Amino acid sequence: MFDVLDMGASALTAQRIRMDTIAGNIANANTLRDSDGKPNPYRRRFVVFAPGEAEGSTKPGVHVKSVQLDQSPLPKRFDPGNPDADKSGYVSYPNVDLAVEFVNALEASRAYEANVTMMDTAKSMFNSSLRLLA
Amino acid sequence: MFLDRLLNQGSMPVLEQMLQFTDARQSLLAENVANVSTPGYVQKDLSLDQFQEILQKKVEEQESAAPGGVSFDDVSMDIQQPQRSILFHDGNNRSMEQLMSDQAKNALMHNMAVELLRDQYSMIETALREGK
Repeated sequence: MFDVLDMGASALTAQRIRMDTIAGNIANANTLRDSDGKPNPYRRRFVVFAPGEAEGSTKPGVHVKSVQLDQSPLPKRFDPGNPDADKSGYVSYPNVDLAVEFVNALEASRAYEANVTMMDTAKSMFNSSLRLLA
Repeated sequence: MFLDRLLNQGSMPVLEQMLQFTDARQSLLAENVANVSTPGYVQKDLSLDQFQEILQKKVEEQESAAPGGVSFDDVSMDIQQPQRSILFHDGNNRSMEQLMSDQAKNALMHNMAVELLRDQYSMIETALREGK
């Protein structure tokens, strides 16, 4: 009976990880170098959801199966003065599209709200059932 | 058992089944909402119409049987995968509006059954207190 709350919690966690990933994408929308300081533009990350509370679990719910790198081509801009420019003067920028990220963020936050609503409903149902005893 | 018979007549077993149904359905609806962005997930549901059909048959049986003679414990249903809304490209057939309205209706049904059951219990209590 209390499975509903666990299920809601798993979904809230999953959506928050999705939101963290989106925040990371937006923060790194202009990052041209990796953590070692070498020229290596940031690639957009995205989460893949899978049903089940955790990998291999039979309990219902949802979990983040993996965080993957977007392998779409990096956009290039002509900027010969940039130290990261290639021989022909083009600089590769991260393949992060801010519009896409904002839409995804909105979807994640709405999904989060929807799960909170489901948990609220389940809670009020438990409460009314408990009132049968009193 | 006298108490068994007392608690197993009239609308009480029907209301109990309604509570169990709404509880189970709430779990499924919550699972659907949790998996609203999961690729390839197909929505699950319990059919309210089918449930009411089963219940109606039971109630009709009960009308012609001795008080407490019909057991409602064997009411069971299979989980369905209704194809009500469009299938998205990620293989998920989510419909947030449908889910939200279903869960609101489901919760109302649950609370209604609880209130009616409470009335039934308080009626028994009144009888036990000899109307005092």
